[in-house]
Amino acid sequence: MVLYEHVYILSSRAHAVECVSLLKGVRESKLIGLVQQNNEHALFLYSHRRMAITGDDVTLDEIIPISYDFSVVEVSSPDELAVVGADTRVRVTFLDEELELKLPFGSQSRLFLGEVNRAWSDVCEQHPKQEPKFDWLGKYRKVSRGARSLRKATGASNIKMSQMKKSGKADGGGQKKEDERTVCESQERGKGEVRDDLIRNSQHISSNKDQMLRMPQFGLRDNLIKCELLKNEDAYTYIQNYSFFLGTYNVNGQNPKESLSPWLASAASPPDFYLVGFQELDLSKEAFLFNDTPKEPEWMLAVYKSLHPDAKYAFVKLVRLVGIMLLFYVKKEHAAHISEMEVETVGTGVMGRMGNKGAVAIRFQFHNSDICVVNCHLAAHTEEFERRNQDFKDICRRIQFRQEDPTLPPLTIMKHNVVLWLGDLNYRLSDLEVDHVKELISKKDFETLCNHDQLKRQMDEEVVFVGFTEGEIDFQPTYKYDTGSDQWDTSEKCRVPAWCDRILWRGKDIKQLNYQSHMTLKTSDHKPVSSLLEIGIKLVNDESYKRTFEEIVRRIDRLENDCIPSVSLSRSEFHFERVKFMQHQAQTVSVHNDGQVPCQFEFIQKLDEPFYCKPWLTANPCKGFLAQGGSVDIDLEVFVNRSTAPELNSGQQQLEDILVLHLERGKDYFISITGSYLPSCFGSSLATLCLLREPIQEMPLDTVRELSMKSKSQTSDPETDKPQEIPKELWMMVDHLFRYAKKQEDLFQQPGLRSEFEEIRDCLDTGSLDTLPGSNHSVAEALLLFLDALPEPVLPFSFYRQCLDISADSSQCRQIISVLPQCHRNVFNYLTAFLQELLKHAAHNRLDASVLGPIFAVLLLRSPTKQDLTEKRKVKEFLQHFLVLTPSDRDIHDKPPQ
Amino acid sequence: MAKQYDVLFRLLLLGDSGVGKTCLLCRFTDNEFHPSHISTIGVDFKMKTLEIDGIKVRIQIWDTAGQERYQTITKQYYRRAQGIFLVYDITSERSFQHIMKWASDVDEYAPEKVQKILVGNKSDEEQKRQVATEQGDKLAKAYGMDFFETSAFTNHNITESFTRLAELVLQANKKDLDLLGGSMNEELNLAVLEEQEGLCNGSDDTRKSCWC
Ligand SMILES: Nc1nc2c(ncn2[C@@H]2O[C@H](COP(=O)(O)OP(=O)(O)OP(=O)(O)O)[C@@H](O)[C@H]2O)c(=O)[nH]1
Ligand SMILES: [Mg+2]
Repeated sequence: MVLYEHVYILSSRAHAVECVSLLKGVRESKLIGLVQQNNEHALFLYSHRRMAITGDDVTLDEIIPISYDFSVVEVSSPDELAVVGADTRVRVTFLDEELELKLPFGSQSRLFLGEVNRAWSDVCEQHPKQEPKFDWLGKYRKVSRGARSLRKATGASNIKMSQMKKSGKADGGGQKKEDERTVCESQERGKGEVRDDLIRNSQHISSNKDQMLRMPQFGLRDNLIKCELLKNEDAYTYIQNYSFFLGTYNVNGQNPKESLSPWLASAASPPDFYLVGFQELDLSKEAFLFNDTPKEPEWMLAVYKSLHPDAKYAFVKLVRLVGIMLLFYVKKEHAAHISEMEVETVGTGVMGRMGNKGAVAIRFQFHNSDICVVNCHLAAHTEEFERRNQDFKDICRRIQFRQEDPTLPPLTIMKHNVVLWLGDLNYRLSDLEVDHVKELISKKDFETLCNHDQLKRQMDEEVVFVGFTEGEIDFQPTYKYDTGSDQWDTSEKCRVPAWCDRILWRGKDIKQLNYQSHMTLKTSDHKPVSSLLEIGIKLVNDESYKRTFEEIVRRIDRLENDCIPSVSLSRSEFHFERVKFMQHQAQTVSVHNDGQVPCQFEFIQKLDEPFYCKPWLTANPCKGFLAQGGSVDIDLEVFVNRSTAPELNSGQQQLEDILVLHLERGKDYFISITGSYLPSCFGSSLATLCLLREPIQEMPLDTVRELSMKSKSQTSDPETDKPQEIPKELWMMVDHLFRYAKKQEDLFQQPGLRSEFEEIRDCLDTGSLDTLPGSNHSVAEALLLFLDALPEPVLPFSFYRQCLDISADSSQCRQIISVLPQCHRNVFNYLTAFLQELLKHAAHNRLDASVLGPIFAVLLLRSPTKQDLTEKRKVKEFLQHFLVLTPSDRDIHDKPPQ
Repeated sequence: MAKQYDVLFRLLLLGDSGVGKTCLLCRFTDNEFHPSHISTIGVDFKMKTLEIDGIKVRIQIWDTAGQERYQTITKQYYRRAQGIFLVYDITSERSFQHIMKWASDVDEYAPEKVQKILVGNKSDEEQKRQVATEQGDKLAKAYGMDFFETSAFTNHNITESFTRLAELVLQANKKDLDLLGGSMNEELNLAVLEEQEGLCNGSDDTRKSCWC
């Protein structure tokens, strides 16, 4: 586990590496990885047990630091393999040790070597200024031979090579080791074998950025495009024929003793592909137990030498499970069009797992066609045909090739456009005596014989090889001969001849040119069989591919654009006419979801604004959900209250706002709101009102604005615009009450009527009537509202603190009044005089100072902030001084009216 | 075969009302043209995939309201853009003069690295031309921008101008792209990148003011 902290795998493809240590003179399979930390690199070599099934099968036994002394050079391959696609041999030297590695054909090996070379040249660049120290290797050296982390595929003859890299930001020590164990051990795929792609799946140990970039929606999109491309394949591909030579040969554990040319080079012209399968390559215990055999290179060489002499072939792949081996060669010029190659093996032998029986498979893409080639050796014995059927099914089920995109499920054999199946299928001839068989053979009555062939029968019953085709058999059974002859088995068992060795295919555009056995080969008790197929391969026309691709992208873009939430609004502009103080107005905007998806809407705030709309406006509801095709009515409500009135009255602000209706993941809509506001004395300042000689709405708006500016700056010239002592509107209300309501019971305690308030307001603002309309209570309430709406209270905010401080002292309180701005002082005196007058009529109106005081105190002495209880008490206390009737007051007012 | 990594970025169409911003977008994404002027009241967007230098570039194109009264609001969308089209109408001298104002707003509100190109639309209306090609050229030079005369009506220079701006944005962000894209075949999203680096403080003041 120690090794794998912070390791993630850059290159996800595992590969076979044969590693030959020249120093010790022993051939050994190894796993090799490039590990990086703090810009230092080392190669880690692992040995592993063969046929490993559990996890403790890998040991770290060599660390090769990539220092200045390190070198890796490519060794030119031996002559027989000097072709494109041959394995790469490299010699690694470090200090006084030397090691030769054989890396498998393919870009992954190249990539790996490239990485190693880069690491080394980095070191050279720094040399001698900076020497790598390799401190971090210490702990691995200690545990080498004890490091257990990697697991290896069961049964596969090949060892996997992984390229590993320490995550750049990792600091090395101090990280938990247990975590990685779970990473490595928890990722098994749902099949019997434990595979080293466990390592690949541990990619999720990765940096933040890496994670950040994993945008699921893009993945989805790409898969969508892939799917569409596949659907439209016909539009951009055309069929071209290629010849495939398929061969199968059960060699009965023999060595290659004779040339294979009669079998492999039997065609007139060289085939494009060679897929050559062997069974029983090695029958030794060693091969069975350790999956290692010297016969592999021997037979490989024999095949290579006997390929058709008229073409150059590249070796592409070898896959072997014990004695079942599949070799893949291709004409040199086609090699570049082979991609996405994977191999798999499945043992169906002892315990249904071991490799004495089973299959190996190679999948690849050639141009645009997916091809899967299977070489199998099924269960033996005449009566075991059902076992063979089962083996076939197991192979189909258990062979699962991983896909490049790890999110996609693994590929099975049947998912391929073309499946080529060869091998010792071991089906026999049923219900015939051996002599009868031999007689039919000598008469070349293969048709009759075929009726007894188990495979043909099972296929007719559609219990095995469903969808596969086999060409007509026009050659005598290939099993069983006395080795070295064309003699039927003369042993005691005297086996009935059978067509054990077969070649089948599945897919479109496939034609068999030839299907035969090769009697001249006498090495084994089987004869080799070959099939020459002409297979229509899908080639891509770049022009039409590009066109199709673009069309698909366009379609998907359009789809995506159609799915952007969208609504329509009944109107986008709203105008509110004649908006008045404290008078509610509303209009409705209908929002209809005309898009193709449900949507979430919300009014959002604009830059530099605290709220989605101005304070005099509300939208109700201001957010919600709209089903596709659904509608909602949103009320837009305008209400000007005392906090918004002052700036509207003075013309500093207009009723203007733009609402932004936002759809989640969608567009924004603007709704513009305008209105004409009728200024009012309510919410206007005392100073301004004193300057207004006409009702506010009778004055031109500009004049009102000008006068309010003037009243603010207090630069009014007393000569030209001599202010009134108190606002006429205030006078009208107080005078009205003085005249008609002195004796009104419950004055200021009983509420007025809203409609009457509106009439009073309009009367004050327009001067339309000489006497105020409405009941005494309504006028009283209007007066209170007027005081409440004053932008600056009668006792201005700047005096508030001081007033509270001296609230206990009557004379100081009076003193303060004398220093108020003139119009405020006038209004204060006027109002307190009025209140005193009311108190004189307590007998009728039942008012007293303790009732009136608090009502007016909080209006006249308003706090700029929220008041606490003591403050409230002091505010009341302050006003009380002015409600006590002084003797002199009494004198004046107690006189009976004349 | 296909792509290795995706890039997503935002382009913004700016210009006076009626210069043809919405038409440019419709022509580019849907290959359609609508002769009537339905003024955009809000901010609309569409997606389009382009391939530039083998990289699949997905662009989100924002179409804004050109009317003057909405300009204070549309400004807040600038800062999310990586590329901006400044569009005028060659048959409207006035729309050309306003480019100055649009450009200065962009300077003020858009990110520093933003790429701009100048577009004179309605090139099909030769007989009503008020702004000579040279004038457009000269202004573009003065601002150091590329310049295209386009027609949404005849589909002239539409793909060219959009692709050009996308290229410019790609180039301007090349460093970030290489940094992330070079080592692994993954998608990347400039918008995400920018979030990550705190370039747009999306979380606080205007969390919900823009599509994201
Ligand atoms: N002849 C001609 N007319 C065009 C062209 N592009 C747009 N128009 C017309 O110009 C008018 C305005 O086009 P829009 O695209 O709606 O204008 P806009 O810039 O989006 O305007 P706002 O949304 O108000 O900002 C429409 O009547 C279009 O048909 C063009 O290239 N040639
Ligand atoms: Mg528009």
